[in-house]
Amino acid sequence: MSKAMPPPGGIDCCTVMQQLYEYIDGELDEQTVDQIRQHLEKCKRCMPRYDFEKAFLRFVGDQAHISAPPELRRKIFASLLEEEGNH
Amino acid sequence: MRMMGQNDSPVRKEFEDEALVHLDTLFNVALRLCGNASDAEDLVQDTVTKAYRAWDKYEPGTNCRAWLVTIMRNTFINQFRRESRRPTAVQFDTVEDVSVFESVQDRDPEGHFFHEIVDDEVKQAIQDLPVEFRIPVVLSDVEGMSYAEIAEILDLPVGTVKSRLFRGRRRLQQRLYEYALEMGYIR
Repeated sequence: MSKAMPPPGGIDCCTVMQQLYEYIDGELDEQTVDQIRQHLEKCKRCMPRYDFEKAFLRFVGDQAHISAPPELRRKIFASLLEEEGNH
Repeated sequence: MRMMGQNDSPVRKEFEDEALVHLDTLFNVALRLCGNASDAEDLVQDTVTKAYRAWDKYEPGTNCRAWLVTIMRNTFINQFRRESRRPTAVQFDTVEDVSVFESVQDRDPEGHFFHEIVDDEVKQAIQDLPVEFRIPVVLSDVEGMSYAEIAEILDLPVGTVKSRLFRGRRRLQQRLYEYALEMGYIR
């Protein structure tokens, strides 16, 4: 890209990279989100980095989310009854 | 599962309705903090007991999940200190500065190798993160909490949560990458 050209989305690669997790996490204001989205659509350097980080976070988030075991539930209800008895 | 009947006290019923609906969240957070189901169950049990005893201090209408996780976090930190487990050794201070992407961009830019990694290894990698990084990573990436909610739970500024999350994720990424290299998932 020519140096005279403004960066895509009016935001440079370095700033996009610094805010990438916040962008993925939905923690940025609308204006910044728009800028980064426009940047990513056009920037061949940043887009694959965005895809990679997103894949990584999705992978971590997809780790089995499991229900509390019924036995633990039972123990907790029993202990609450016991606590109540102690009041 | 709850036994309905004349033994229901209003306070316990309120606690069950407001707090115990978050039991799965508590268990998942505990599991990631402790690394095994047995310690996790103990942590959940301690947390719920403390929360029930302090129920009159909970302000109705505020974020009950955050309130419970705060109690869990304090309980966990106290136990962690008491047992004075060795801190995780950090090999390079600069490990967080560079994304693993820079190492894999020619071989696996889309990060397919992550999916070769078994659940147990991921759990272990999360558990091996230093605790100040582990808690934000678990709350954000496993439980999907916002930065503001995590900041409230950890009693930290949002900016600190952001930077710990960044560093924790990068460390986790690096660890999983090294594991994938070792196992031959990336050549």
